[in-house]
Amino acid sequence: MTRESDKQPGGYGPPGDAPRLIGQGSVWIMVAAPTIWALHFVASYTFAATWCAKAGPSLAEPRWIIAMMGVICVALIGWLALLAVRRYGGVFVIFEEITESSERARDRFIGHVSLLLCILSAVAIVFTALPGFFFSTC
Amino acid sequence: MEELFWVLLIGAAVLWTAVIGAAVYAQKRQVDPSLERQARWFIIWGGAVIPTLLVGGLLAWGMVILRDITSDTGDLTVRVDGERWWWRVTYEGPEGDVVTANEIRIPVGQTALFRLTADDVIHSFWVPALGGKMDMIPGRETTLALTPQEVGNWGGLCAEFCGGAHALMRFDAIVMEPGDFEAWLAAEAAPAQVSEDDPGFAVFQEEGCGACHAVRGTDAAGPVGPDLTHVAAREKLGAGVYEMTPQNMALWITETHEMKPDIDMPPYPDLDGARLDALVAFLMSLDHAE
Amino acid sequence: MTQEIDLSKLPPAEPYDEARDKAQRKRLLDVWQEPPGWKIISAVNNDHVGKWYLLTSFAFFVFAGILALMIRAQLAVPDNDLFGQSLYNQLFTLHGTAMMFLFAVPIFEAVAILVLPEILGARDLPFPRLSAFGYWCFLIGGVFVCGSIFFGVAPDGGWFMYTPLSSNTDYSGLGADIWLLGLSFIEVSSIAAAVELIVGVLKCRPPGMRLNLMPLYCWYVLVVAGMILFAFPPLIAGDLLLEMERAFDWAFFDVDRGGDPLLWQHLFWIFGHPEVYIIFLPSIALIATMLPTFANRPMVGHSWIVLSAVGVAFLSFGLWVHHMFTTGLPEISLSFFSAASEAVAVPTGIQIFCFIATMLVSKVRASVPMLFAGGALAIFVFGGLTGVMVALVPFDWQAHDSYFVVAHLHYTLIGGMLFPLFAGIHYWYPFVTQKAMSDRLGTWSFWLMFGGFNLAFLPMHWTGVMGMPRRVWTYDVTDGWAVLNMVSTVGAFVFAAGFAVLAVNVLWPRGRQPLVERNHWNAGTMEWVAEVPDKPWGIRSIPYIHTRYPLWEQPDLMGQIDRGEWFLPDAEEGKRELIVTDILDARPLYVQRVGGPTFLTIGSAVCLGAVFILATYHLWALTLAFGVGFIGFTLWWLWTGTSEIPERPEKYAGRGLTLPTYAQGNRSPGWWAVFITMTGDLTAFMGLVFSYFFYWTALPDFFPSADQIPGISWLLLGLVGLVAGWLMTVAARRLLGEGRRGMAVGLLCGSVPVGFAGLGAWCLAAWQAGLDPTAQSFDAMVWMLILWMGLHLLLNALMQLYVAARILARICTPDYRADLMNLTLFTHFLALTAVVIFALLAIFPMLMGAA
Repeated sequence: MTRESDKQPGGYGPPGDAPRLIGQGSVWIMVAAPTIWALHFVASYTFAATWCAKAGPSLAEPRWIIAMMGVICVALIGWLALLAVRRYGGVFVIFEEITESSERARDRFIGHVSLLLCILSAVAIVFTALPGFFFSTC
Repeated sequence: MEELFWVLLIGAAVLWTAVIGAAVYAQKRQVDPSLERQARWFIIWGGAVIPTLLVGGLLAWGMVILRDITSDTGDLTVRVDGERWWWRVTYEGPEGDVVTANEIRIPVGQTALFRLTADDVIHSFWVPALGGKMDMIPGRETTLALTPQEVGNWGGLCAEFCGGAHALMRFDAIVMEPGDFEAWLAAEAAPAQVSEDDPGFAVFQEEGCGACHAVRGTDAAGPVGPDLTHVAAREKLGAGVYEMTPQNMALWITETHEMKPDIDMPPYPDLDGARLDALVAFLMSLDHAE
Repeated sequence: MTQEIDLSKLPPAEPYDEARDKAQRKRLLDVWQEPPGWKIISAVNNDHVGKWYLLTSFAFFVFAGILALMIRAQLAVPDNDLFGQSLYNQLFTLHGTAMMFLFAVPIFEAVAILVLPEILGARDLPFPRLSAFGYWCFLIGGVFVCGSIFFGVAPDGGWFMYTPLSSNTDYSGLGADIWLLGLSFIEVSSIAAAVELIVGVLKCRPPGMRLNLMPLYCWYVLVVAGMILFAFPPLIAGDLLLEMERAFDWAFFDVDRGGDPLLWQHLFWIFGHPEVYIIFLPSIALIATMLPTFANRPMVGHSWIVLSAVGVAFLSFGLWVHHMFTTGLPEISLSFFSAASEAVAVPTGIQIFCFIATMLVSKVRASVPMLFAGGALAIFVFGGLTGVMVALVPFDWQAHDSYFVVAHLHYTLIGGMLFPLFAGIHYWYPFVTQKAMSDRLGTWSFWLMFGGFNLAFLPMHWTGVMGMPRRVWTYDVTDGWAVLNMVSTVGAFVFAAGFAVLAVNVLWPRGRQPLVERNHWNAGTMEWVAEVPDKPWGIRSIPYIHTRYPLWEQPDLMGQIDRGEWFLPDAEEGKRELIVTDILDARPLYVQRVGGPTFLTIGSAVCLGAVFILATYHLWALTLAFGVGFIGFTLWWLWTGTSEIPERPEKYAGRGLTLPTYAQGNRSPGWWAVFITMTGDLTAFMGLVFSYFFYWTALPDFFPSADQIPGISWLLLGLVGLVAGWLMTVAARRLLGEGRRGMAVGLLCGSVPVGFAGLGAWCLAAWQAGLDPTAQSFDAMVWMLILWMGLHLLLNALMQLYVAARILARICTPDYRADLMNLTLFTHFLALTAVVIFALLAIFPMLMGAA
């Protein structure tokens, strides 16, 4: 289907240049994992701030909710990492730079960087969840 | 806390030397193409794994310390209100509040809980020698617990820029033996000893000083400026800036804005010699009862 | 037609023909020649705009540096009365403001505008006139803000302008308005540059430069421009709130009326912390570009650097509260930000270890740029380590707002930003001027600056530990800070002397000195393809790139480019042309024509500058007049310079490649520019949404009584009107596509009153509820959201009528309708904004049981 926004004058040129979502051949997968970190971070902060302002000094429940959110987000990132490995052919350690000029190499490069970003984001989420273990009151 | 400081300082020195040393070594050694693989492991271990473990550990340690130094209760509670550019200090005692200004006295070895507020702009309460600082924010109350370990006058100041005379917004933070502190607080709680026919008090009233300043025990109850009930018992004048001497007091009254620019108190340059002397003598008599 | 280019199947270049080469060069020269004489100011080409940008930023750097020396002179001895309290407060405020907003961020834009197109082998950026517009905005705004100190009315509230000091007109005067409006204006130019650079990296790469082959510099530019897009808008939202309180007494920060001073700190630091990395990353990008040249080999861990750039960009948005550790927030909240502040050290460290790894496997040639890079490493690593310290809450409680922090931030910024930049100046100087700098002076300036810097700032850590707070104009001899301060002052002057040597080295007239040989440093990146002496067209022909370091890895590339063997070697139609490619693989999509020299952008910037300056003095009638002037110039510029229907639908680009000459929708850079701009706009709006929820969280009685909540029926009616306006635009796009021009024009014109009717219903709802923005924060917030919608509707109305006129003038046609597509995209965002505002005004109070 040619979407309205893809139509070109007189039909010149192939349709479509919008990057796909996160399936193969996309740039968005690179920002997906850090975005999950960002959402988890904002959610944890907002939740704790609202709880402390509205509910009260005990953090018994929020601690568990923050930890659960962390687990869910790490799981999501795990799925992204799997995608980066399976679909994009991303690997963790490379000894040769991916400099081949081909679509496959480009995908492998994106997969590799996405995988690294997945790991960094997961570590950052663990860091964000840590305060939940240390503080029991606001 | 102090332990944290030294660990961080030495840790930083070691890490800095290690990183710069690695760079120098990398530059000096002979080029060796077989190092390609090692170079990548070097990035992974040196750049990623070790820093992650280090900062993760530091983070956890920092949170433990934070949990320990924050406290909701103290052996005594002091309310401090930041004004432009001085401090309104209120001791919460069993027999009611004791109001003073620009000087904080606390007993050694006990935890003083400071309840901090501000009226006009944001200030920050800091006694560098005793511990951390805490902002004083209009519309909020923040708290800071300090437990001094040593007797002395440590000096405190406003750490958050509050406009104009921010640099001259200081106070004395005097740590005393508990017994001395109790005596001081009792003396501070007593009203001023003012005789009705004190010529200086007459000048005080004629010039309208009481509209802004309070002197407990008289009808001067102005809430705008610092409480002067025992002003002469304080070590400093002008919010921890000048020595409390008659000369400085006279200058403060006549050349107020040279002493401390931008403040709300108007100068009284027209006070003539005798009346000024009387007023200064009166103010310097506002000491603790012997 | 525009398929993947297969190098092996590409037809060979036509044999060299000297006459053809000469003719092509002549035509290219005619098209890209800068205007003669004084008319040079109408130039828009990246060479010129980039150079002006660079010099202007450095002029502001010198200005702010002189302020710093004045500060150090005042602090040299205790009880100094060299400058009074009032002037000193202006000095440090303006020093911070100018360094951050007028030097550190603009210099990134300056270098990127100058170098990015060349590294991409492009002739220019996709919107040269937008760069020029941004530059003129920057110049006018910067001069206005800096000039204020000569009249004694410079901002004096510190560079982060905390409320209520800055919001209450009893405590701050004209300076605060100058700060707010002047900087808002400069933020406009930053966002303009960000849009330009993002589109530049994504869409203007040379054919074949896939993402895995893209130079590191481009990754950094992309990341940083993206950060600007998300970091600056919250500050614009904050500026708007603050100025509304200052100018019209709306209740946002005044505690007595339900305001909250901490809201400003949040909005400011959501901008302010990413800003630090917005400054730092582009300079690291310079090192990442230079180091391979001097190491004579590709960067080790290229992909790890991409990881760390993207990772830092994200994590840096989770740091903002570490500037607010002492505001009494709950410990758990502080710790989230402490966690992110520690985490960001990891990707930052990775970049540095990549550099060291590269040095490990190569022999780095000694040179002045590498000297500066080494100094940068030594200083920055130290600043990074003190950063790890202050990220810990207990440590920060001691260090916050003291000279320790002053030392820390100067170590990170001077090590992370200034020294790499100086390295870059030495590295690219031959590229810009075709002359070599003096190595001797370079070495001198390095050691003076390196020594002076450490002498000035190393002792400051200790001054801070001893208890000296920042922003004090005097101190007492009994404080015991005198010796350390004197040492710092001496160091500052030595540093300044070093910079003076560098300035002499840069500005030294080199008329007789021979030109450098081409590719002076034997680099691998494309900018060094520039001919010596330089030609205004940027690149003779646009090559197919299939390696990361084309000048090293694609044999005879320079010769092929020079002989015009690659794409677009000619300018037969007398137009400035670029190749637009796709995001992933840089497949050629079409040939874009860009605008040449014009005075319209200057007129537009001058009028907009006048609007901001006159608003500072509350001269509303004149403000309005210049506002109309700004709209007039901008419409004229758009009408004559964008989306023109080409004389033929496609053209031959060389080597068997025929490309369309027009594109619309998501293949055109214009569409992406609208998308990116509106993403920034939406971020600013999210700043307002954040404010709304912030009040709700912080204030127990944010919602007034039920009868003061705007009625849902009027709100709903308003939403219907606004959504109807949007649907009419969407329908117009379809109808125009089907050739029904009259209907399309009717719908576009009709959507204007429909939208305003919707807005009117919202105003009525707020008015009926008796909401007074000067009375309570809830009231002010409701009116602010409505005002936000209203400003967008005004813009929308202009654009609807503009496109309708273009249709009537047959510039926007059923086939060529890029304008209408861009407009539709804009209205998508408008509709989203309307729905969110409706949810905030009608749904959320209902859910909370307030209505």
